[in-house]
Amino acid sequence: MSEEMAIYYDASKCTACRGCQAACKVWNELPSPIDFNAGVCTGTYQNPADLDPHTRLIITFNERERENGYGVDWAFGRRSCMHCTNAGCVNVCPSGALYHDPDGTGLVIYDKDKCIGCQYCRSGCPFDVPRHTGVGVQGAGIKIDKCTGCIDRVRNGRKPACVTTCQPNALDFGPRSEMLEKAHARVDALKEKGFADASVYGETECGGCHTIMVLKYDRSMYTHVPENAEPNGMTEALGFMKPLAAVGAVGIVAGLGLSFLTGVGYKRDRLYYDEKAHDEIDVDTGEVVKHIDKEKGER
Amino acid sequence: MARTNYPERDIQRHSLQTRLTHDVVAIACIWLAISGLFVFVPSLAAAFPDVAQGMRMSHRIVGAIFIIVPILSAITAPKGFKAFLHKYFVKWTPEDVEFMKKFVPYMLGPKKVHMPDQDEVKSGQRIADGAMVLAAILIAVSGLVLWLGTSVFHAGATAELVMRLVHDVCFILFIVFGLAHIYLGAGIFQPYRGTARLMWKDGKVSESNALYHWGFWARKEIEEGNVEVAKEEK
Repeated sequence: MSEEMAIYYDASKCTACRGCQAACKVWNELPSPIDFNAGVCTGTYQNPADLDPHTRLIITFNERERENGYGVDWAFGRRSCMHCTNAGCVNVCPSGALYHDPDGTGLVIYDKDKCIGCQYCRSGCPFDVPRHTGVGVQGAGIKIDKCTGCIDRVRNGRKPACVTTCQPNALDFGPRSEMLEKAHARVDALKEKGFADASVYGETECGGCHTIMVLKYDRSMYTHVPENAEPNGMTEALGFMKPLAAVGAVGIVAGLGLSFLTGVGYKRDRLYYDEKAHDEIDVDTGEVVKHIDKEKGER
Repeated sequence: MARTNYPERDIQRHSLQTRLTHDVVAIACIWLAISGLFVFVPSLAAAFPDVAQGMRMSHRIVGAIFIIVPILSAITAPKGFKAFLHKYFVKWTPEDVEFMKKFVPYMLGPKKVHMPDQDEVKSGQRIADGAMVLAAILIAVSGLVLWLGTSVFHAGATAELVMRLVHDVCFILFIVFGLAHIYLGAGIFQPYRGTARLMWKDGKVSESNALYHWGFWARKEIEEGNVEVAKEEK
């Protein structure tokens, strides 16, 4: 597969059934807490409250009173990896665990065996998506967990698990260009229906995402959907640190090596200080090589 | 009649506590640099993922030692710590300025360039050690945020990125100043032969070396009687 692919999400069609959340967990064998009242109440139907090491996808719930005073706007959103082209997580990953699918789908995937659990990817992501299994102070065995776009399914010609289970067809998966076309058409239709703030999200953000979202309301109604999202500039600055360190190390070793060579054969005479006469004496010759004139304030 | 008997004499330069503190921190530094490379160089961690995990864990343990040992040392010997600060924060003398001007030519031609007398801590030492201490403080603070900010609390993306940048910049500073420090301190540079003894053996410096490196300080110590005969001249 060499074509760029994308997950499509239409917030205006989503019924927030969260079948996609369940399908993601089932396919990827991600456990859920089963203790009585284990879930944390967020005051909404959103559950869990946010992404966690075993939850790669959540449907977000946000609401606001309508300006005309009749009812509320209730916005369902999809919060998961955006699969960015300019992916901050890939930029900062020190172990090469995170990378773009070499088949060219644009999906951001990872090799858990290579993950060293540094959690830098989370700080590099403008959407705060990557999560890690365990956050122990000792730092052992921590591994990244985030949406892979069900790369194992995609490579076998199937759609991601979340997409296949979506009954209102809010989710789709296909070539990115087709998904963008579909999204723009849907936004045009929503605007005709009076949703003036409807927009396509993910087209240009972070160099172009491989999750394309149709937002029914303005962005403020959705969670972690920043305007003009781009990886923090520092993720690129960090990229300069390695060559800079290499230049520094090579430079100092070369300089010290040269210094060593110029010092080969260096010898100096043993000195003795006569504290009464204030003379520094060359021990081998007995010659006074320096006299300290205390009366003149020398020391 | 000219005197011919010049005994070999030593001056005590560093206490046992100073040496122990230095040596523990130095070993910790070297281990932190090696283990840090497994996070800093992707190909290294990718090639040895299992080793990388162990290195990351050891980076935290040794990092804690790197931070705690000097703090404990300062707390248990406040007078020594005060004296340490006093040695580093002193007014520069004309000889200090001359030393810095001659430093690079001297490093590349020690047989021809002669350095001026110096006090207990050379001006170059003050700059290099000061840079290392500053880098150490920044690397410790940023390391703590990177560590605890991803385990005990969530530091936030920007804070983590800033701290990582600080950590990396200080790591580079450590490489540059650390290698130069080892080159001089371990006596690899020919005129500095014998200086390893100061921190890794008995903390003493021979009178001859002291006069060469820290003339003002050496003469003062000898005049005050802080010198001991190591070996009688036969």
